[in-house]
This record gives sequence, structure tokens and C-alpha cells, in this order.
Amino acid sequence: MNLPGEIGRRIRMFFHRDQLYRDLDDEMRLHLELRRQQQVDRGLTPMAAARAAHLKFGNAARIKERSLMAWGSETLESFFSDIAYGTRALLRSPALTLVALASLALGIGANSAIFSLLDAVLLRSLPVQNPQQLVLLGTGQDSGIGNNFVDTELYSYPFYRQLQEKNSVFSDVAAVFSMTDDVHGFVLTNKGESTTDSELMHVNLVSGTYFPMLGVQAALGRTLTEADDNSQGNHPVVVLSNGFWKRALASDPNVLNRKIKLGTTIFTVVGVAPVEFFGTRVGESPDMWVPMSMTKSVPPGWDAYDKNFTQSMNVIGRLKPGVSLTQATANVNLLMQQITRGFSDADLSQKNLDKLSKTHVALTPMANGLSSIRQQFSEPLQILMAIVALVLLIACANIANLLLARSTARARELAVRQALGAQRSRLIRQLLTESLTLALIGGLLGIGFALIANRFLLRMVSGGPDVLPIDVGLNLRLLAFTFAVTIATAILFGTIPAFRATRLHLTDSLKDGRGPASAGARNPLAKVLVISQVALSLVLTVGAGLFLRSLVNLNHIDPGFNRENVLRLQVETDALGYKDNDPRLNALYQQIEARVNALPGVKAASFSAFTFHEGSWSDAVLVPGMPNNENVSVHQNVVGNGYFKTMQIPLIAGRTFSSSDTATSQRVAVISEHIAKTLFPPGSPIGQHFHVGDNKPANEYEVIGIVKDAKFNTLQEQTKNINYLSYVQRPWGFGDFEVRYSGDFDTISASVQQAIKSINRNVRIAHVTTLDAQVARSMTNERLVAQLSAFFGLLAVFLSAIGIYGLMSYVVSRRTNEIGIRMALGAARSNVSWMVMREILLLVAIGIAIGIPVTLAGDRLVANMLFGLKGTDPLSLTAAVVLLVLVASTAGYLPAKRASKIDPMEALRYE
Amino acid sequence: MSRDEIPPGTLYLLILKTLALHRKLHGYEIAEAIEQRSEDILQIEEGSLYPALQRMLIKGWVVAEWGVTAGNRRARYYTLTADGKKQLTLELSKFHRIMGAVAKVIQTA
Repeated sequence: MNLPGEIGRRIRMFFHRDQLYRDLDDEMRLHLELRRQQQVDRGLTPMAAARAAHLKFGNAARIKERSLMAWGSETLESFFSDIAYGTRALLRSPALTLVALASLALGIGANSAIFSLLDAVLLRSLPVQNPQQLVLLGTGQDSGIGNNFVDTELYSYPFYRQLQEKNSVFSDVAAVFSMTDDVHGFVLTNKGESTTDSELMHVNLVSGTYFPMLGVQAALGRTLTEADDNSQGNHPVVVLSNGFWKRALASDPNVLNRKIKLGTTIFTVVGVAPVEFFGTRVGESPDMWVPMSMTKSVPPGWDAYDKNFTQSMNVIGRLKPGVSLTQATANVNLLMQQITRGFSDADLSQKNLDKLSKTHVALTPMANGLSSIRQQFSEPLQILMAIVALVLLIACANIANLLLARSTARARELAVRQALGAQRSRLIRQLLTESLTLALIGGLLGIGFALIANRFLLRMVSGGPDVLPIDVGLNLRLLAFTFAVTIATAILFGTIPAFRATRLHLTDSLKDGRGPASAGARNPLAKVLVISQVALSLVLTVGAGLFLRSLVNLNHIDPGFNRENVLRLQVETDALGYKDNDPRLNALYQQIEARVNALPGVKAASFSAFTFHEGSWSDAVLVPGMPNNENVSVHQNVVGNGYFKTMQIPLIAGRTFSSSDTATSQRVAVISEHIAKTLFPPGSPIGQHFHVGDNKPANEYEVIGIVKDAKFNTLQEQTKNINYLSYVQRPWGFGDFEVRYSGDFDTISASVQQAIKSINRNVRIAHVTTLDAQVARSMTNERLVAQLSAFFGLLAVFLSAIGIYGLMSYVVSRRTNEIGIRMALGAARSNVSWMVMREILLLVAIGIAIGIPVTLAGDRLVANMLFGLKGTDPLSLTAAVVLLVLVASTAGYLPAKRASKIDPMEALRYE
Repeated sequence: MSRDEIPPGTLYLLILKTLALHRKLHGYEIAEAIEQRSEDILQIEEGSLYPALQRMLIKGWVVAEWGVTAGNRRARYYTLTADGKKQLTLELSKFHRIMGAVAKVIQTA
């Protein structure tokens, strides 16, 4: 069977159907003519001959119809006429159409928007060759640089080299530095000058095998190759990302051989990556890739190319065809043991060997790429996806209800058509086509809505000044998803009304509802729809309440420092070319602190390695007689003398750092209360000596003070272990500078920046913000979920209100007659409106009764996202119930009032 | 003389076989050929040829072209395609299988 040919023939015929009609006519006429002739020849009269020919031939009209139907064009044609008819029908009730379209656009748009984020972060495959063959060593949960004997997440560059050489399971292996380096570099002109100011460039160091292994071809020039990576320090080449090429080089077609200066080294551009390639880490898109051989030349100059035990790389392998993940895991783990032991500088102490023998590397398929944002966003995104799906369900129930009400109003039209012989299936098809038209228009609007919403979403998700570089634009997957959702929606809201509308007692309908059908005005189906709307709205509003309360709870957590009135900025000194331990750096820091401290409006100012939610340096605090300390990781912060005053972290005992602590005096430390209680032996720790990390003499410190516990990374965290060191004694290439001020932020910010620049024009100031904003950033997820769920919760309630209003208006109009009789018999107006309100409240009550257990079950699923309350938070539940009852009563008030205004005489005449 | 309706489903087979024998026929000729060869026993509702022919056109078993009859009338002539010949073999073996089965049932009964 030749299917494509068949489809082709059908389509061709569809466009030539006039021809088909004529041809059929012609040949059938010929047939009848010949047959008639034959009969005449046999001696029949012309009349009898024609009759015989027709008898033999059968019903010509029917046969023609059947012949045409064979081509299926009839179905298509009626489809188009249905669409035209449906559009006209929709235009006849513009209010209904508008409400339906608006709720569809919002419902579908919200789904598309969240889906495109979900897709970009969680689902989409890397734009590389056969991404399903790629596996990662480890789980991809870690990034950074460390010096360990063995690590299962990050690997040293020499380890990658050995693995590449010795493995038998990968067709190739590549290594990529687990962090991008933020460098202030220069794009040089063709003459080699830097005309523009420096700009921030995100540089990713990769092995020479990176591009070839991924199978990514350059859009321009070439990608990096093994030859760029075979010896350290002499391959100053760089491949630009497409985005950077467009942004910083204005898509210069002669970009090849242009130069880029990073730190003190000048790199030659050898290629531009294709537009869809963003690297292998979702949520970070490097501006350029530099071979790992140049690591020392790219600030901050990680020294990792030939250090056997400096782990900083993610290692990615491409499985050979036919090799399973299990086989690959076995091979990698075997080599892990061999390679680690085989390094000439391996410290093969018993402790290390024990550790190595217990080490197991897990391989993770990485078709979707690495991601540090995936873990962070996967739960909130899934929750949001569920929320918007519920909203769409409510919208569907709403539209179904509206259609139901309308189809009842159209009962006469449909009854007439059925009476005239229209098949029920044909009518259903037409009603479904109408729903589909509605849904498709809604879907189109939804896509437009989604594209706009996505920009806001991305900004909300990013939670900072820089928008996350993930692609949430229009693409085929998004369109396919939206289309599927649209069709599903049409089926959901269109089917039941269509079947209901065509199941009629013809005679009753033709009598315009004078028969028993008017009893059907108490439409149970419509009520079920309203009840389910109320139930779903309850779920959503309670959810929103929980998320909002949880956000408030988070905000009320005492971080241990005063988050108000602190300016925070970053002072970058890499342009000065000093090494981290250059004494000139510390002199500069002290000068800045002193100058800023003297400014009017400034109460205190200090440098620090970290403030809050900025990552950490963790190490053990080793105290004699406390053997377990080795296993407790302690955040280490390196700070200036004014840090505690600036942050307003209260001192409990002893003293904080002062000018008497110098580079040559006794090294001292300030510890948090929790450390003092748990990591030191009983009694005052002040004056005691301890080591940080290992027992080398250079790491020995004396405790001089104890401060109150403070939060370090997140507000939720329980860790309270922070050890403070002075940068005078423990040099640190800083970043953070904090200023406690009073008065206007902008004024202070300007004068502080000016003061810093006046000391050294070449330092760079970046990320100017407040400590408060920094804290708020740590709650991005919670805020995102809270705000969006509140928005969607309100939307759900609003949609339900429309549903209730629609249903009740309809019910009242159908019951005008009955109400008129009641009033004629002496029912008070208030009784009548109460009768209507009672019905509404009953529906809402049932909806709530169903919604509560569903809500309780659903809230258990989101328990992880909640803080300081349980899923069974009575306050959120009560608030949601009150809100729903209030809104429902308001929505029902108008129809109820209308019912009470009915004039009995009018109503009776209405018959 | 009594005429029998053709067994359901055999219309395709009859048309295919007729076209295989005569190479090129128009609708009326097909009807005539079937009736003559069956010695007027098989009677088809002649009109039903046309929907069947349309379906066969769609399936690609036959192709049609316009020509002129002996009486100088415009007529649409149908010819078998390669797919049509294949289909004929298929339909024939199906027919024989069914007939054989029917025969067996009747004999044992």
C-alpha cells in the first residue's frame, strides 16, 4: 500500500473537485446513454428504455455522493463551513465569546509560559550531536575547585587526561571547568588597541576535546581542538559565543583573528559557536570558550592544568555505541582507583586508601546538560505547572458552563435542524468545531500572552539584575505543547455541552420550554461544573495562602544581623594586577575603609569575603580534645575590623578585630556562639588556640571573641557555624564591601563610590545593592511561587465567580415563571432572593466540602516549599473559605436581586 | 431469468479481473463485460461501479484517462496499474481461500 501517494492524490483532488464533479457527471451520463441505446436496440420504447437504464443504474444522486465521499473532500468541506458557521455563532454572543476567549488565553497562556520555562530548565536536550550518548561523571551537583585526595563530582585535569587515554567505554571524553570565570576583558580593535571600556566576560575553560566530542561545528572559523590544549600556556585562542559576537563585536564578519584581552594576555578569536549552542550548563551561557591549557592566563588564574589533586572539572564522556551505562560505570570506577593511586604525588596514607576504596563514581546521563539552576527550580516549576493546569481546568469548566447555557438557549435551533433531518452526529460535529474554533483562537492569544509573560517570569526567576540566559522564546516544542493543550481544552469543554445540546426531546424544545423540559433548567451538569470550579479554586487559594504565609514567615526570620540600611557593593581589583597576597591590596582595602568611614551619613564600613547568600568557603575547625570537629564543616568568613559593627552582629564575649591585630601579630579569630558551645570543650573558649582545615602551623588561630549566630546562605538554614578571620592576617582577594548608613541610599551610594574611585581610579565597582535586597534574593523561589500562586488563585476565584454568575442568571431567567407564581401567591421579595442565594451557597458549600480533603492531600505535596507552617494551616484554609463564600455571594447577588425584582404579572404573561 | 446479487466484497475483484483481461475499458464496458462473462447471472447495481472506481483511483490500483468510444463519444477509460495487478493477486488468493473454506464446510455438512 502506497500511503503517501494516496494522500497526495486526495489532496490534489481536493483542489480540483469541480473537475471531479464534471468528470463523474460525464461518465455516468455516458453510461446511462449507452444502456438506454442498448435497450432501444432491443426494441423497447424510448421511455421504457430510459426507465430500464435508470433502474439498472441505481440512484444516480446517491451514487455521485458516494463517489465524492470516497475522496473525503466532503468532510473537509463541511469542516470549513462549520468553522464559518461557528465563527458567526460566536460573534452573535460577543460577551460570552469575550469571556471565554479571555479565560482561555489566560489559561492556555499561563500553561505555555510555565511549560517553556520548565522545558528550558528541565526537559530540553542539549543542541549537540546525539545528546543521549553523553554521560557525566558524578551527579553534577557540585561546582568549584578543591584539593582533595578523591572527589566523585569534580576531577583534576590530569585525571581527565588519564581517563581519556585509558578508558574503553567512551568514544571520546571532554572536561569543562565547573565554573565560568567572570573577567573584565577588552575587545581590541584591529590595531590592537582597546578603545572601549572593559566589559564583563563570562569565560569557560574547556579541554580541547570539548567541541569535537559534543560534535558542535563552528558557525564561523573553527572550534577548539586537541591541538589548542596539548601544552600549557602557549595557545592564546578563544571561541566566541554567537550572542557575544553579536553583542560585543556587532556581528563583525571579519571577527577571525580579532583580539580579546583577558587579564594581561591577548587572545586571538579563532571561531564563533553556532547560535543555538550555549555550552553544557543550562542557565549559564559563557561568552567565550578558552582551552584549559590557558587557565593561568584567565583571571583569576586557576592553577589546575597539571595539578593531579586539584579538582575543578566536570568530565563528560560520549558512550561508544552498544556500551551500557553499567559497563561504563564499571570501567570508570576501575580506572578511578588505578589513576588516583598511579599519580606520582599521591598521598597513599591508610586513611586516603580507605577513602578511595569506598569511593564510587555514579555516571549520570546528561542529554539535558548540567545545571545548577535545575535543582533549584525544578520543584517550584513543577508546582507552578500543576497550578496553571488547575487554572486551565477551571477555565474549561467555565466555558463548558457558558456553552451549556448557550446551547440550551439554542435548543430551538438545534431541534429544528434535527427535525429537518440533520443527523445528531453531524450536529455534534458542528458544535465541536465551534468549540475548536474558540479554543484555537484562545490558543493563539495564549501564545501571545505566554511570550509576554515569559519575559516577566524570567526576570522574576532570575531574582537579580542579570536575567538568566535561558531560551524561553517561541519554538516548535512550545507550539506543539500549546496546540496539544488547546485541543485537549476544546475536547474538555466542548464535548459534554455538544452531547447534551443534541439530546433533546424534540417536541418539548419546539414548544419553547413549555413542557417538562423546563424542569431540566435545574441543570445538574452545570451545577457539577460550578461545584468542581469551587473545589479547585479552594485548592488554589489555600495553596496561595500557604505560600504567601510561608514567605512572610521567612521574612520574619531573624538573620542574626540587621539587614536594613546597609549598602553593599563589590570592589574588583583584578585590573590592578596584584596577586591575592600582595600587601598593597590590604593597604588599599584599609584606605578605602577609612575614607568611607569618614563620610557623612556612614556609620560603619568593612570588607568581607561574604555577606549573605554568596556561596561559602567551608573548612573544619580543629580544637585539641575535640576529635569529631573534623567532620563538621564551618563557614569561614574573612572580614575587616568594622564588619561586626557594620552588620550589627552583637558581640557576646571578648573583643572583635582591631588595629592591634596585624599581619605579624598572633593570628586571631572570632567565633559564633554555636561554635563556642559545640566545637570547644566546656568553659570559655576565649584565649584557646585551634586550627582551620589542617594542623599546619600557618593555620593556627587564637579565639578572641564570641559573636551571636547569624545566617550565612539562606534564611531557612539551621547551620550556625561561622568562624571569622581578619583579612589583615589572612589575605583574601575581596569582593564584598558593606557600608552601614543613615539617610538616602542614592546619595550615600554615590558618595561611597566616589570615595573609592578617588583612592584608586582603576578599581571597578560592581553589583551595587542593599543587604536587604541580597537577603530578598535568597527567597527568589519562595517569592516567585507565592506571587504567581496568589495571582492564579485570584484568577481561579474570578473565573469561578463568572461561572456562578452565569449559572445563576440562567437559572433565574428559566425560573421567571415559577418565581412569578410564588410571588403572586404571596412570597416576599426577600424570600425569593434568599431562595436564589440559598442555591448558590449550597453549591459553594458542596464545592468547599469536596475541596477541603483535596486541598489537604495536595498541600502535603508542597510541604517542602513551605516554611514555618504545616499543610493543614487553619488560617489559610479559613481565609480561602471566607474569600470564596464572599466572592460567590457577590457573584450570586445580582441574579438574586434580579429574581426579587420580578413583577408577578410580567412573569405570568412571560409564558 | 433470475439474476443474483454479487457476494459482498467481490466487486473490486470483478473490476480488477475484468480490467486485467481487457486492458482498457470505460465504466459501461466494465459493467457489460462482467455481466456477459457471468452469463448474465451476476447482476451489479451498475451505478455502484463508480464509487468503487473512485476508491480504486485513490488507492492507485487503476488510472483513468479520457478517450473516445467507437461511437465517437467522450469516455473515461480505466487501466490497471502495477499496484492494481498486485492487488488482483491478493484479492484472488483471498477469494480462493474463502471459497475453499466455504466448500469444505458445505462438503462435511
